[in-house]
Amino acid sequence: MALRTRIAVTFLLLLAAVLAAALGAVSATNRANAEREVQRQLDVGVSVFSRLLESNRRQLTQAAQAVAADYGFREAVATRDTDTLVSVLENSGERIGAAMVVLTSLNGDVIATSGLHIKAGTPFPLSAEQRSGMTGDNATSLMVDNGRIYQLVTVSVRSPLPVAWIAMGFELDEKAARELAGITGLAVTLSVNSGGHWTDVVSTVPAGGVRQSDIVTRRIEMSRWGNAEVVAILSRSLADARAPFERLTKMLYLIAAISLFAFALAAFWLARNITRPLQDLTQAVDQIRGGAYDVTLNVERRDELGVLAEGLQLMQTAVQSRDQSIRRLAYEDSLTGVMNRTAFGAALSQALAGADGAPIAVAVINLDRFRRINEHLGYSVGDAVLTKMAARLAAVPSVNSAVARLAADQFAAFARLQGAQYLQAWGTSLIMALADPVFVEAQPIDITATLGLALATEDTASADEVMRCADLALEHARREKRALAIYEEALKPAARDQLSLLGELRRAVEHDELRLFFQPKVELKTGRVTGAEVLLRWQHPTRGLLYPVDFIPFAEKTGFIRRLTRWTLDHAIAQGARWQSQGLALGLAVNISADDIADLRLDSRIASLLTRHQLPPQLLTVEITESGFIEDPTRALRMLDAISALGVCLSIDDFGTGYSSLSHLASMPVDEVKIDRSFVQGLESDPEFAPVVRSAIDMGHGLGLKVVAEGIETEAAADRLRAFGCDVGQGYLYAKPMPLAVFETWLAGRERVPVVAVPVDFQTEDLSDTVTLALY
Amino acid sequence: MNAPHLHRPLAALVLGLLAAQADGGAVTVNVTTPTGAAAGDAVVVFYPLDAAPAATRDSAVIDQINKKFVPRVSVVRTGTAITFPNSDRIRHQVYSFSAAKTFSLKLYAGSPKTPVTFDQPGLVVLGCNIHDNMIAFVGVVDSPYFAKTADTGIASLNLPPGRYRLRAWHPNAVAAPPSRDITVASAPLDIPLAIDVDATSTTVAAWLE
Repeated sequence: MALRTRIAVTFLLLLAAVLAAALGAVSATNRANAEREVQRQLDVGVSVFSRLLESNRRQLTQAAQAVAADYGFREAVATRDTDTLVSVLENSGERIGAAMVVLTSLNGDVIATSGLHIKAGTPFPLSAEQRSGMTGDNATSLMVDNGRIYQLVTVSVRSPLPVAWIAMGFELDEKAARELAGITGLAVTLSVNSGGHWTDVVSTVPAGGVRQSDIVTRRIEMSRWGNAEVVAILSRSLADARAPFERLTKMLYLIAAISLFAFALAAFWLARNITRPLQDLTQAVDQIRGGAYDVTLNVERRDELGVLAEGLQLMQTAVQSRDQSIRRLAYEDSLTGVMNRTAFGAALSQALAGADGAPIAVAVINLDRFRRINEHLGYSVGDAVLTKMAARLAAVPSVNSAVARLAADQFAAFARLQGAQYLQAWGTSLIMALADPVFVEAQPIDITATLGLALATEDTASADEVMRCADLALEHARREKRALAIYEEALKPAARDQLSLLGELRRAVEHDELRLFFQPKVELKTGRVTGAEVLLRWQHPTRGLLYPVDFIPFAEKTGFIRRLTRWTLDHAIAQGARWQSQGLALGLAVNISADDIADLRLDSRIASLLTRHQLPPQLLTVEITESGFIEDPTRALRMLDAISALGVCLSIDDFGTGYSSLSHLASMPVDEVKIDRSFVQGLESDPEFAPVVRSAIDMGHGLGLKVVAEGIETEAAADRLRAFGCDVGQGYLYAKPMPLAVFETWLAGRERVPVVAVPVDFQTEDLSDTVTLALY
Repeated sequence: MNAPHLHRPLAALVLGLLAAQADGGAVTVNVTTPTGAAAGDAVVVFYPLDAAPAATRDSAVIDQINKKFVPRVSVVRTGTAITFPNSDRIRHQVYSFSAAKTFSLKLYAGSPKTPVTFDQPGLVVLGCNIHDNMIAFVGVVDSPYFAKTADTGIASLNLPPGRYRLRAWHPNAVAAPPSRDITVASAPLDIPLAIDVDATSTTVAAWLE
């Protein structure tokens, strides 16, 4: 039921109940009042009636006494002359208005009568007292004669002793009854019981008599006359008594009906007044829920509904603003204000759909070495740089274009080109836009960017695909160390392979497709081989030998790197143990990635492997890049401590390129540092590098660490490093990474043959880049 | 004023007694109620059964004092003239509707000029028209031998010897005692007589007839 109806009906029912109760009470009271009133009137009536009769009797008695005392009358009585007596009686009766007069002897024999059908000589029914002669006057009685009722007074006639009785009768006729009725306010009926049969002799009750059901009566026994019994019946009609109350009740019913009607109108109006705004509000809420935030609410009302409407209004505004900020968060890069990846994808999809054959170009832009800006100049500077770069990209004039920030230092852009031939030009314009130094706090910062370009063709219809093509182009540009690369079909198969790479990697582990390559580490002073760095290769069944760059970054992204690291550790330690058993105490260095450091069970794994293969821990070196403990230095440090506690050596890879502070380094349980190959190679081309390398070596020694140089390609470099006091060298000058058999052969030959230079293969090994965290 | 009126009946009584003492017996009638109480104002009459003496013209007086007839009860021989002096300062009326003597004296004060002669035997009830409570009884009898009992209930008289029929009456008698025949000799005679009297009754006992 609707609220409106419920409110109205509830109040109506309540009012109806109250009215019904009130009317019921009034009706009942009225009824009781009417009856009580009737009873009271009857009580009063009986009393009044008796008094009236008594008063009547007294008057009649006085009149009769006056007659009886009249000397002439007495004289006539004394004469005993019947005719005279009768005439005297008539005369006397007329004088006082008696309907009949009877003269009897003292013992009750009728002497003479007037107006009565009793013969002289018949006994007159005197009362016992009268007959005994004890008391004469004052006795009153009723007499029935010939169907008439007489009120009878009897007085004695004295001459001077009582000699006779004179009885005078006054008829209680219709007129008398009406008088009585008028005085008492009641209907008067005189009824005679003659031989068991009641006859209403006189009655002021209209047709129907006193025996109707709604008539209340009182019987007054008046007298007996022989066998005739006379009663007076006073009566009152209940209906008559109730009439005024009935009128009142009817009026009340009318008032109740009117008030119910008025109340119903008022209740419905009120309920409507409440529920209509509620309906409006409900409708408004529905609209707001549907996402419409421009709903106008009536907040004019001063009552609670007005407050509610106002609240809804405020809520609408709040929801709208929150909705907008959520959209911003969802589709906008909060730092730079350009699109995020999601929004970019959507926008690109839309552009592709509406391209109509026009070429859509997509660029993925990576800011080179951006991390260093963050680390050296602070994040706020980094953020400022990003913001400015985003603005510059967005400012490049293109048709139907969009710019997005995909990751920390990676941006993307797409544009509708006039033709495919303009792709290179567009890409160049993007690079140019980023080329100028960025001024942050009046400080110029040089930023270079690497760009991957892809053109949406019919084959690369989806936004995702175009994006990945651009990604592949970017990867390619990095590998080629070019500022810009355009995606081409040739890059595609490799890209395709990425999809199944994970499955293939699993299979590689399971089917023993992985190989360990070893690159020797040579003590620079003596030329003695102290150990080898273990590097991973994948003997792919169809694509031949794959280098770490082909699958390690992927493994690191997918988390599969731990599996690979476990495999590598297992086999490397096993090999070390084999050499140990052959009398070769060769140290083995295994690269560990940042994700491995985050593995809480890494130390226990290493411990169990050492135990299982019976390799002395000092023969194992774990190489980590400085970036390996950037994310969570505290946790990384704990892990390094644990590993160091096993007796395993720890080595910092790429020393010098990193960003860890010296204090950091000092607090770490490190045994050696590996100077980055860029320093070593720079040593040959740029004489200014020498002091840097030297101080790096000195710093390592100052910290009590062994210093290893990698990427040694020439004797000259080896000589300089040796001169600087570098402890161990590693590089193509000695040997490139070799399979086990080749390494062992090389090792055996080294026993006899002096070290000679071997050809350098940059294509396969020297791919150090910021993308990879570790090299294998 | 009162003395002459009082003397007359006394004189008659004395004459009667003297006559009895002269040639007859003294008769005393003692009237009592059945309970033995003395019944005053009772009338006793001796009707001679042998020979009746000749009528005489007697006279009597019934006075009106303090709205009362005095005496209340009188007995006279037929033919007696009774005067009704009024000793009150108010006027009185005297009437009788009795069959033995019907008369009325108009309102008067002092003594009326003419007496009323009661020439028929019977009971005459006297009343005053303006004073209902004034009632007197006059028994008119055809015998010279009668008496009225004193408060002691005793009436004495001398009767010539002979046979008499004794009858008694009392205004309040419930029933008249039966008549009794007696014989009077020279010896004195005591006659006890019981009459049932009810003082509260308003009816008057039937006269001797």
